[in-house]
Formats: sequence, structure tokens, C-alpha cells
Amino acid sequence: MFQTISIVAFLVTIGALALNCIISPCKECWRHPLRKVVQLVTMLFIEQKLSPVGVLRKLVYLLALLCFVVLAFTGFYPTLVLGEHISGYLVMVHATFAPVFAICLAVLAVMWARSSRFTGSDWPWFQRLVQRVTLIKSPGKEVDRESSGLGLKISFWLIIFLALPLALSIILSMFPLLGTHWQELLLGIHGYTALLFSLAAIVHIYLMIRCKTNE
Amino acid sequence: MRKGLINHCRFPIAGFRFKIGIRKLKIENLILCLLVLCLPAAAAETGQKLLGDESDGSRAHPIHRIELLAEPGEQGGEPVKIDPNIDPEEEVLLPFSTRQTCGECHSYGIIKKGWHFNSVDPNAGSGRPGQPWIYVDAKTGTQIPLSYRSWPGTFKPGQFGLSDREFTKIFGRQTPGGGAGETDDEVEVMRQYVSGKLEINCLSCHNGDPRHDQGGTTGYAVQISRGNFRWATAASSGLAAVTGSANDMDEMYDPFDPFSVESAQSGKNKPPAITYHKNVFDHDNSVFFNIVREVPSHRCYFCHSNLYMGAEETEKWSEDEDIHLKAGLTCVDCHRNGIDHNIVRGYASEEDESSNELAAASSCEGCHLGEHSASEPTAGRLSAPVPEHRGIPLVHFERLTCTACHSGPWPADEPHFTKTSMAHRLGTPNVNKAREMLPHIVSPVFAKQADGKIAPHKLVWPAFWGVLKDDSVTPIELGTVTKVIADVLSKEKFPFSGDWPEMTADHIVKGLSGLGGSVEGQAVYVSGGRLYSLDDSGQLSEQKNHPAAKPYLWPIGHDVRPAAQSLGIRYCTDCHGTKAPFFFGDVNVDTPVVAARESKKMIEFQDISPSYTWAFAFSFVFRPWMKMVVLGSCAVMAFVLLLYALKALACVVKTLAGEN
Repeated sequence: MFQTISIVAFLVTIGALALNCIISPCKECWRHPLRKVVQLVTMLFIEQKLSPVGVLRKLVYLLALLCFVVLAFTGFYPTLVLGEHISGYLVMVHATFAPVFAICLAVLAVMWARSSRFTGSDWPWFQRLVQRVTLIKSPGKEVDRESSGLGLKISFWLIIFLALPLALSIILSMFPLLGTHWQELLLGIHGYTALLFSLAAIVHIYLMIRCKTNE
Repeated sequence: MRKGLINHCRFPIAGFRFKIGIRKLKIENLILCLLVLCLPAAAAETGQKLLGDESDGSRAHPIHRIELLAEPGEQGGEPVKIDPNIDPEEEVLLPFSTRQTCGECHSYGIIKKGWHFNSVDPNAGSGRPGQPWIYVDAKTGTQIPLSYRSWPGTFKPGQFGLSDREFTKIFGRQTPGGGAGETDDEVEVMRQYVSGKLEINCLSCHNGDPRHDQGGTTGYAVQISRGNFRWATAASSGLAAVTGSANDMDEMYDPFDPFSVESAQSGKNKPPAITYHKNVFDHDNSVFFNIVREVPSHRCYFCHSNLYMGAEETEKWSEDEDIHLKAGLTCVDCHRNGIDHNIVRGYASEEDESSNELAAASSCEGCHLGEHSASEPTAGRLSAPVPEHRGIPLVHFERLTCTACHSGPWPADEPHFTKTSMAHRLGTPNVNKAREMLPHIVSPVFAKQADGKIAPHKLVWPAFWGVLKDDSVTPIELGTVTKVIADVLSKEKFPFSGDWPEMTADHIVKGLSGLGGSVEGQAVYVSGGRLYSLDDSGQLSEQKNHPAAKPYLWPIGHDVRPAAQSLGIRYCTDCHGTKAPFFFGDVNVDTPVVAARESKKMIEFQDISPSYTWAFAFSFVFRPWMKMVVLGSCAVMAFVLLLYALKALACVVKTLAGEN
């Protein structure tokens, strides 16, 4: 069940992002393609700041990204591809990267929270989002298509929010507190939260790439 | 009519009771009585149930005040009623037969298909590997697991040159009779006539009489070793005393002929003879049997005791019993059976192999967690607590049996030397109590079993002389081995402890050379996980990991420890430590060959990577740090979320208040 839901969810998300790429192509991406590729590969799309905090932000983000990839691979590969529970060396790798990822997320939460606050300028975008979802038109001027930060903010807060049940579900199961039934529940929570977290992270990375390449 | 035959017989047929006085017998009654006598046999053939085959529902203790019947001297003859006052010059006082006495009301033919009696039946399922019979002879360097069941790693007694009769003489001591003791011996027909068949000894389990003598100096075990198969049950019953030995009688001896018996009694070697305690007979020569339906645990213990020899002196009083027994249960509360005696063995997948309807419900899971397939709630049977297993990751339930954490002695750096009743004839006279007494069984060895789960096992390393053909090894017959090898090792010292002699490569070369001429195929010696043979140049070569040299392991279920003493109760490192015996205990390779004595790590029996297991165990050093780091990170994230959620709430409140 989890395997099917996960595969469908990943395919739908990636499909939706691809569709978004086609419907609303990123013009800046094609202006200096080589430069953009280099930016993507080296993750230089993150704002450059020479201050120690800026360097830290960048390093932490890169480390978090690396951890996310490793954790997603070690967590989902056995479940989705092999159809079995995570075991062996994959568990060890998973468990090694998990606390690092948790630290990175905590640091990013502190560093990015202020800039990811919802402000009054997000209100029109929010209205537009509601309109698109509900198909109800309301009077108001059209907002600039390329200046949206709402998606990034939403995905950021979603990531931080989902990180809590994701981490706590597995950490709590390591304490002699909860019995077998609860262990099953916690494992289920960990799995489904990891799925949602991964989808949010993928969207966040996609939006980040679009946002930074447009700058 | 034979003297002393039925004075009063009460036979319930279709709910009626017939009371027939012999003195007033009319012809019709005589015919009726004969018919009634034939009923058990006819019933067994037609599948008709006898009086005791099915309960009427009463939970009251059944009273067995019955007449003793002996087997007839002639095949197909009528059973002989025991009368202790017969004239010995005219008749032989015979031991009572359970087939005749108990079989009067309980279908013997059905009972003998039960687990304890059906090992020789090729159609009987073997189920999960169990404890084999281990033939041991230090003088020939032999320690070989035998079984009539098709358990991989064991050999049939016939392959080892043991006839059913010889097998019964050696190992029948710790059986409840039946099985190999009751098969027709086509070779030693006369010898079997002298000693009789070892019928099922119902009393071994069901006798509530405190005088019951299974392992005393004149009890059941001793009678079997004397070849007194026919007399063994009566000797154990507490109703009679048996003297003499059928082994000492020649093959022409007729135990049913008064003259033959009287002649033998005047000789030096006494024939088997029975003397019933006269006070046990009532006025009508019936006897009160204190039969118990629920078998007391101490009866089971005669064959199923275990002694774990730790580093320190091990005494019975210093060890706790199984927690279930201490909680008030008995063995048969879980190991149940009906008239078919198809007893529940109690392992997890037994319901797939057993026709016992309680097989699923009587496993650990069945009682403690309930039967998944049951339509009604079944958890908590017999007051079994439902385990919580707090903090135990679910993967443990997929890869471990319940017994892995809960059964057997707490694992030590080296598994304990273990003595069992069946292997070391515990509870019988003149047992060698030395720690090193063969066979060398060790436990607990945590090994992967057929279903892929790790379970605690007992382990024995086979050691025997065999013949290699097509890469499979069969043991050489005991007689041949004894003749050749006893000479080879005749000058060696054999420890009083019953331990191995110190065998060398030279001994093996001499043994293999000696056996080479006596057997067809290549003579080999299997011991300590190695297969020794002579190459073309006559040099000794050895092969490790040959399938025939693998140790034989069988899972253990008892003694179950309480939850507070289960593995993992202190911390994960009870097992996941870099030196934890569960994975890294040293299992000594047992062999008489001194140069081959070594040890293997427990993990080699578990089919998992040692390096991974070590690394995983090592990671538990950092586990507390990981928990702290993740919890700390979560706290920070939660604080940030809370902070900005409150800020957002403040904005909403201001907006709603019209301030912004």
C-alpha cells in the first residue's frame, strides 16, 4: 500500500513540476544555459554573501541537501524498489545521516524563518492561489508572475513542520515507552511523513532553482 | 475357560451396563461375553470409539478400578487376566499389558499414532527438527545423532547398524514405549519373543501413583536395559516388582511356559519374573490405577530435563524453573493432545504441519497475542499476559523467535555444556555426573532456523566413521567400527569423566586404513566440522564445511524466563554489543581430535555478515548521542514554529481588531 501510494505521489509531483516547466517556462534559464547549468551543479544559485552567516547558510543548505538525497535514497529505495524494509548497511547510513539532517534543518529553521515570514505582499499571491484552486474569480489586479516567493515560503514551513513528526516518530520508538501497536503506528507515521516531507522538499528545491535562476 | 477369568465384567455398550456373573453364565451370555472381549479389536478396525476415547464432558477425576490383562502367549489369543494367586507350576505369572489392559477402553491403535510413539511410522510428519538420540562411544570417537524421523543431519539407526531392538535397549529408557520398541523384528524373532515388545507405557505419563518407578534401580529404564521389554511397564507401575533379565536368557527360552521358566530360575542367570504386590488387588482381583488425565510435569521431566553446566557448580536447587510452571501451569496446559496423542509441540508454524486443532493457539503467539485467524478473541489464554514489547523495533519480531529473547539460559561468552535426560540418561541409576561427560551438547547457540528466524538451539558436533559415496556420507555400522577402531585407540587413556580421549592424526590414519578394507567406498572420519579421508598416497586430508560434518542443531523452547530477564531488557547492547554473546559468543568445536579443537563465533550460525553486525553493534555507542541531537534539533524547530505561529496569530488578532 505504502509502496503504491509513494510511487504514485512521486510520479504525480514530478509530472506536475514538469508540466509547470512546460506551461510556464523559465526564460532566464535559457538565456545563459551554460552558466545556469554550472549554477545548478555547484548550487551557486544560493545567494552569495561573504559574511560568515551567509557562508554558514550556504553550507548548511548544501549539507541538508546532501543528507536529504542520502536519506531519501536509503529510505525509499528498499521500500519502493526492493519491496522490503530498510535493513543492513542502508540502515546504518540512514541513521548516520539522520541526526546531521536534523541539525541542518534546525539551523535552517533559525536562519531562514525570518525571511520566510508571510507578509502583506504575499496576500495577492495567496488570493491567486485560492482562485486557481477554487476556480472562483475575484476582482483585483494581476500580480507579477515571476516574483512569487509564496511557494518557497509555504514549502519551507511545510518542511520544518513535517520534520517534527518525521524525526520524533522514529526517535520516540527508540525509547522503551511505546508498545508494539504504537511502534507500528510510529513506523507508519515515519513512512508517510517522510513521503510528504520528500514531496515538499522536491517542490522547494524546484522553486528555489526557478527563483534563483530568475534573479 | 481359563482359570480366574473374568468374575465380574462391566462393559458399557451404547449406554447400557452389563453385569455378568460367570457362575450363572448361560450359553447366550458366554457368546455375548466373547463378543464383548473382541470389541476393542473390532472397534479399532472399524473406527468405532471405545469407552475412554471420548469424554462425556465431566471434568471430574476418572476412576480406574480395573482388571489387569496380560498379552496372550499365542498370537491372536485371548488376553490373560492377571490372578496373583495362580499356581506357578501350572501357569506363569505374567506382567500386565497396557495394550490389553488400557486398550480395553482406549483405542491403542489410535494412541500409537501419537507424536511420542510414531517416529518409526514413515507416514508420520517429522515437523521441526527436534532432539535426536545421540549414540556415544568414546572408545571409537563416536558421537552421532540418530533419529527415525527425517530430520536433516540425523541418521536412521538402521544406517548405523542398530536394529530396532538394540535401539530400544539403549534409548528406550527415556521413551514412553511404543515406536521402535513395538516393531516386528524380522531378524531376531526368537529374541523378541523372549524379551517381548516394549508396548506403550501409558503409566509413564498418566500414573499418579507416587510409587511409580521410571528411573529407579528396578524401574522402567533398568528393565529395558535388561531386555525385559514385556515387564518394563509393570515394573514401573508401583504394582509389582520385576527381577531377572531377558538378556541373560537364550533364544529358546519360553517366558510363557511354566516348565521353561522354572528351569531357568534354577540356573545362575535368573529369567525375568514378576511379583505383584498382593495388597493392590481387590477381592475381585481388580486393581486401582491412580490414572491422571492431566499429566504432572515431573513425569515429563523424566525424559525432558535439562541441566546447564555453567562455570560454577550447577545444582537443581539453584536454578529456577520455567516461568510458566512457576505461574501455576503444567507442561500439558500448552502441550495438549486428544486421544490421538498428537501432542502440540508448540512452535510457531506447527499449525501448517499438525492436525491438532490447538496447534496455532498453543504457540507463544497463540496464547500471548491471540490467534490471528480466530473468529473470537483468543489472546490471554491461561492468563497469559499480552506483551507490550516497549521500545522493541518491529524488525525483531520478523527475524527472531520469541524464544530467542525469552528462553534458555542467559547467553554467556561460551555456550553452556548442557545435559539432557535423553542424551545423558538423567534420572537413571549410575549416571556419570561429570561436566565433560559425553555427548557434548552446548546451548544456547543462536542460529538461523529453517523459517529464517534466529532461535536459541542446542548443538552437537557429529563424530563418526563413515563411507563417502557420491559426496554423501553414511555411517559405518557400529559393529565394524567397534572391531577396528577400538584396537586403534586401545592404548589411549579414557578419562573417568567420560570425556573424549585425545585423538591424533595418526589414530585417524590407522582407523581409516583399518576400515578401508572393511567397507565399500572411501572410509572417512567426520568430526569437529571436518571430514578426514586418506588421499591416493595414503596421506590424511581434511575437508572443512562438508555437509555431513555440519553440527546438528535443534531449537529449544524452555526454560522460559520472565520478561524482566529477557534479552534486551537492560539495553540494546544485550545483543547489539561488539562483544555480546548473542552474536559474538565463542562456540567451541567439539572433537576428540586435539589439533582440530577451535571455536566459531555465534554469528557464523546466523547467516549474516559479521563485519556489518559488528559495525551495527558499534553504532550503538553513539545511539544516545543521536537521540539527544535529534531531540534537541526538534526542540529548536518546534520553538521556531511556535514563535512564528504566535507572531502570525498576533497579526491575525491585530487585523481582526482593526489595528492594521
